[in-house]
Amino acid sequence: MKILLADDAEVVRLMIGRFVESLGHELLLASDGVEAVERCVAFQPDMVLMDMLMPRMDGPEAGREIKIRMGERWVPIILVTAVEEVGKLADAMEIGADDYLLKPVNFRILEAKIKAIERTVALNRKVREQSAKLAEYYDRAEEEKRVARHLMEQLVSHERLSDPQLHYWIAPAESLSGDLVAAARTPGQVMHLMLADGIGHGLTAALNVLPLTQPFYAMTERGFTLTDILTEMHRKVRQVLPTGRFVALAFVAVDFVNCRIEVWNGGIPELRLFDEQGGLLKRWPSRHLPLGILPVDALDLETERHTFQGRGNLVLCSDGLLEARNDAGEAFGLSRLALACAGWPAEEALDRTITSLSDFLAGAHCHDDVSLAIVDIDPAAVRPLPEPTGLERVPQMPSEARWRYSMSLGPDELRSLHTVPLIMGFVNQVRPLANHHADIFLILTELFVNALDHGLLQLSSSLKRDADGMEQYLLERSLRLAALREGRIEVELAGYDLAGRTMLVVRVSDSGQGFDSAWLGAPDVRRPSGRGITLVRALCASLHYFGNGNTVEACYLPRDAS
Amino acid sequence: MTAIVEIDGQTGRLVLSGQFDFSAHRDFRQACDDVLGKEGVREVLVDFQQVDYLDSSALGMLLLLKEKASAAGKSLALVNCRDTVRQVLEIACFGKIFTIR
Repeated sequence: MKILLADDAEVVRLMIGRFVESLGHELLLASDGVEAVERCVAFQPDMVLMDMLMPRMDGPEAGREIKIRMGERWVPIILVTAVEEVGKLADAMEIGADDYLLKPVNFRILEAKIKAIERTVALNRKVREQSAKLAEYYDRAEEEKRVARHLMEQLVSHERLSDPQLHYWIAPAESLSGDLVAAARTPGQVMHLMLADGIGHGLTAALNVLPLTQPFYAMTERGFTLTDILTEMHRKVRQVLPTGRFVALAFVAVDFVNCRIEVWNGGIPELRLFDEQGGLLKRWPSRHLPLGILPVDALDLETERHTFQGRGNLVLCSDGLLEARNDAGEAFGLSRLALACAGWPAEEALDRTITSLSDFLAGAHCHDDVSLAIVDIDPAAVRPLPEPTGLERVPQMPSEARWRYSMSLGPDELRSLHTVPLIMGFVNQVRPLANHHADIFLILTELFVNALDHGLLQLSSSLKRDADGMEQYLLERSLRLAALREGRIEVELAGYDLAGRTMLVVRVSDSGQGFDSAWLGAPDVRRPSGRGITLVRALCASLHYFGNGNTVEACYLPRDAS
Repeated sequence: MTAIVEIDGQTGRLVLSGQFDFSAHRDFRQACDDVLGKEGVREVLVDFQQVDYLDSSALGMLLLLKEKASAAGKSLALVNCRDTVRQVLEIACFGKIFTIR
């Protein structure tokens, strides 16, 4: 240790100094209080031995000064004194000294005191080092949180959540939320909504849900279905999360055109659909394990569908909302949620629920992330049918297409490929078409589905008329598709230059028996079947069937960007 | 939360009590290692009789225990789940991968 000895008597400095040095310590000397303070500041000793009575500045005063100058660094001060007056010693200890030793000095005691101080100094240093380290950890954690929060916000992207039919709210328990709400529309205007709840909360929970956003948005944009996206998200979660980590997730697809809600719920409290009067129409309790637990191919993808007629609220929330507890230990619960949000317009329902929760908690802290999403299920919220473009007088088409993209698919490919999303991946990269991908998706989907369902699989549209029929139709479809042994569908897209504009020609043909396309002549928009083709006809400059109805050609001229 | 291990022949019982959440991490892991380390134990029971609450981190810990137990060739069951605990296990559909009695 570095020890400062301050005494105005040279003989004392000599005697004690020698002894201190003989113990192996480094010695600094001062002959009065002022000098003691100066040397302390200059040389930063580990401890100070100081006489009580000195010229210019006495020991207690110098001690106080040293303590002030050293700030947070603890420098133990021992007064070495002949003063035996208890009151004076006590005063000195109160203003800065840590201990005292009476003159004449007993060297055995001095040595023991130095050793005791040495232990305390070491301990003190350790505590200071640890607290500095802690402060550093804290700063680093804060910085990491800041970056993570920014990342989350970018990836979750609030703009994309601004769907007129969606109202949502997220309140993190810590600075980062492990709950995630994401929504987007497919090119066919089907609303995809997911509410995910990562295990725990804070940074790791937020990291758990991050892998979900990319497949969700990218695949929705290309028109993949709920089950396709779910499979991909599960694969991602399995790939990146360790055992014991998982993501509870509810995935909803709302098709406003066909008035259908499709739900997959793995580990989220039951979803509920209320009618306009507040009556409970349908519940979707959790039927599946959360994502990330089962092996990739063991995921149960079965969804539950519901056909709606009237307007209502579809309500989703994380368990953090239902389990939010007030000071009395009571949980918010499903009935309070229903009371607050059922039977009100969706936006108001959301506000009422937030207010109801805050009244209920009365200032108590939520221990888990809270998220709530309410979808305004409004059958009228359908994009109006586009006006027929009526461009029958298409200018003379150049004989040569600028580009062609074609594929020919056999039974195995028809079973395993997601054909339309696959083609959309291409369309999205053709610059003049990219802004029109919703129209093109619709055209492709209709023509392809017709070729497959009616052309190859020989399914009858009449099945689709009512709600149960739809289930039956889909079941029959998957059975026939699985059993398909022969048949082929050809899809060709070609781009033509038309006085600076791009004309897209889509040609789809199947090897089926064909059908009588004449009934399409008098379409009825309220009829579930045939509506698709009506829409395609309205979007396209022309639509023609060839042969016995198993080849169709649609010419699409993108409308101006307006 | 406390986690106490009781051994009865080939059955190792992990008796939990209190709130089972992330703060129970260390105690739970210790108890799991204890009970799985016992040579004679063929079956591990996690006893929830005295657990009044569990959260998603607890579910994660149970998944870890499941993995360790199957690696050690021991069977595992969750027993004496009361209403709140049962509800959480039900929402997570844990009945599909755990024996719950």
